[in-house]
Amino acid sequence: MKESIRKKFRLTKKAFSVPYILFLLLFVVVPLVLILVNAFLDSDNNLTFENFKTFFTSSSSLIVLGNSLLVGVITTVICLLIGYPVAYILSKMSSGKILVLLYVLPMFINFLIRTLATKAIFIAMGVELGMGTVLFGMVYNYLPFMIMPLHTTISSIDKSYIEAAQDLGADRATVFLKTTLPLSVSGIMSGITMVFIPTISTYAISQLLSNGKIFLFGDSIQLSFEQGLYGVGSIMSLVMLAFVLISNLIMNKFNKNGDAVRRSLW
Amino acid sequence: MRKMSKMKRCIVLFALCALLALSLVPMLAACNDSSSTEGGSGRNVLKVYNWEDYIDPGDSEAGRDSMINDFKKYYKQVTGQDIDVVYTTFDTNETMMTKVLKNDANVDLICPSEYAIEKLLTAGKLASQKEIYQELKPTLDAKGIQLEGMSSIGNGYGMIEPAVMDVITNMFSSVVASDGKTYDMTEYMVPYMWGTLGILYNKNIISQEELDKYGWGVLWNIENNEKLENKILMKDSVRDTYAAALFYMYEYNLLPQKYGDIQNAQDLINITDDEMLAAAEAVLTEQREHISGYEVDFGKDDMINEIVYADFAWSGDALWAVEESYDEESEYDDGCFLGYYCPTGTNPTTGKERFSNIWYDGWVIPKSVSNKLAAMLFIDFMCRPENAIRNSVAIGYTCAADRALLEESEDVCAFLEDQEYDIEEYFGDIGRYPEINQALGVMRDFGARNEHLVDMWQRAKAGSGVDNSLWIVLAVLVGGVGIAIGVYFACQAAKLRPKKI
Repeated sequence: MKESIRKKFRLTKKAFSVPYILFLLLFVVVPLVLILVNAFLDSDNNLTFENFKTFFTSSSSLIVLGNSLLVGVITTVICLLIGYPVAYILSKMSSGKILVLLYVLPMFINFLIRTLATKAIFIAMGVELGMGTVLFGMVYNYLPFMIMPLHTTISSIDKSYIEAAQDLGADRATVFLKTTLPLSVSGIMSGITMVFIPTISTYAISQLLSNGKIFLFGDSIQLSFEQGLYGVGSIMSLVMLAFVLISNLIMNKFNKNGDAVRRSLW
Repeated sequence: MRKMSKMKRCIVLFALCALLALSLVPMLAACNDSSSTEGGSGRNVLKVYNWEDYIDPGDSEAGRDSMINDFKKYYKQVTGQDIDVVYTTFDTNETMMTKVLKNDANVDLICPSEYAIEKLLTAGKLASQKEIYQELKPTLDAKGIQLEGMSSIGNGYGMIEPAVMDVITNMFSSVVASDGKTYDMTEYMVPYMWGTLGILYNKNIISQEELDKYGWGVLWNIENNEKLENKILMKDSVRDTYAAALFYMYEYNLLPQKYGDIQNAQDLINITDDEMLAAAEAVLTEQREHISGYEVDFGKDDMINEIVYADFAWSGDALWAVEESYDEESEYDDGCFLGYYCPTGTNPTTGKERFSNIWYDGWVIPKSVSNKLAAMLFIDFMCRPENAIRNSVAIGYTCAADRALLEESEDVCAFLEDQEYDIEEYFGDIGRYPEINQALGVMRDFGARNEHLVDMWQRAKAGSGVDNSLWIVLAVLVGGVGIAIGVYFACQAAKLRPKKI
């Protein structure tokens, strides 16, 4: 009898995943189910579709959503424009690893503290808080998330491809465009995912760096829950989730052969 | 086969999640229960649920114990029993109401604002203090305790300021619940603190003459003062900012036509129909261009540090900030470079009266009460002039205790002198003790209209359309990249062209 139990329970890799699965269930899946349930309930806990109607017919919610998406796109583009050259140069340098650490170092400080410090600097410099400062804060906060995957991808590109291109007479620009850039597409994609998805849902950065004047989708969700409008708040969270899933799907489509890179990153 | 088992596993997993979600709800509630009844059944416990920083924390240097500890001593003295006070706090009425309305707050005493009291009352969550008093009377009589401070037990005004009580009676003496039942709020609550809404301003930038001339218009920078532009803070709170918008519209004749005959503040600030919301949205959207932003917590600090020059504020917060701005070498009479102005009188340009809001917070006993005697004694203890003034000085707000009683009390005067206040100045400050008249209105619970108000507030804060500057930024970025690529290919093409010999 004992033998059979022992046989059944073997300390395999699977056994170690049990705590993590339980954690996921409790803190990821269960809250999601609660949001889903709340989305279909009105304030008296009756089943209703009214929340959907409220959200999709209110111009303000859609404007806020549009603003958030735009801010997300702009932040991602700026991060990519700054991040790619930085990652490229760093991967060519022998001391690149240490310099990357310098870029990533601010991430170890809590982002709220960083954002408050940024705000204090802006006020001291007399810069008017508004969309500009919010965009700055976003780029500043999410730039490391762009540089990290790009750096990993670019430094793991096999040098022989580049050498081959050079041997065949390509100049530096052509080498870059025909070998490095196509080979780093997977890094670009995971960088975009890691910047775009968090930026469309932030709320603290926009609130702090604009004194509440810039109102993004995250702020909207927060306001709904604060005012006790759980139904509408849940719908907004679901919409957010839908955007996360959609952008993930699109990225995965582009990124079919990026598995190797992702493995090396995580 | 393999596929089948995978699907099965998925189903099992999903069922498990649903089960967990369902079981979690009562589990959380149970957790809440057990934590708030800590101390066990044998101990005498009072559970107080109050605003953050809303009671005298004591002063160890001056040898003054906290209000809670003093209540424990008082309780021991009058009943001969020990009591534990479990003191929890909330930061917005909404947080508190959500807990109470969902029956998650197992407490004996709460201190909500007037509209929250109205909402809880109509939801049938509050216990009548008058009835509790009748029930406890034999016990109280046996112990020789009189609850003479309370206004809710059929004792006239108790030790509460009559003018404040009158405002409450006028407004809330017959609150009608959705089931048709009427409640007299004065039997369910005893006021604790009260105050007004007004403008905290920097005297270096805004003079008294400007305040008198522009009134609420200051918050819209209506005189186009360059120094004030983008240096104004509003409250990030729907109800208060809506009230400010209405007062401003009234003062400057911007109300929709059909409200031309409104005579008092009370009627004005409780209008929440679509037309009024649209008008308020328009002025709030316009205001957004002139202000620095919206806050609920950092406004006082920004005013003291002179980052902004005007802040829409509650009187208590404002008076606290004014005191903080004291500087011995100041050029101003009272030594403070900040001032609090609650708009009154008439606007000299439009000839319209200025209104403001009067609000109050009060002690209520929810139906979940488990220690009625201690709850009643606590409320009564808070009404005593010598205790009321301590709370008032500690937190900056005006206590609801009768002003005449306060001024008469030797304890109060001694305490104020000890805190380096001039007694006449303290009670004569119109920021602290404004004249209560028709120009001050109470704001009721907006009920189902609240959702529309929140929606309007979102629109006002988000602007009327997608931000155009964002499109420009995006266009510049994309255009820049496009041009760079174009230039590159142009160069390539130039290189490839056969060179002339």
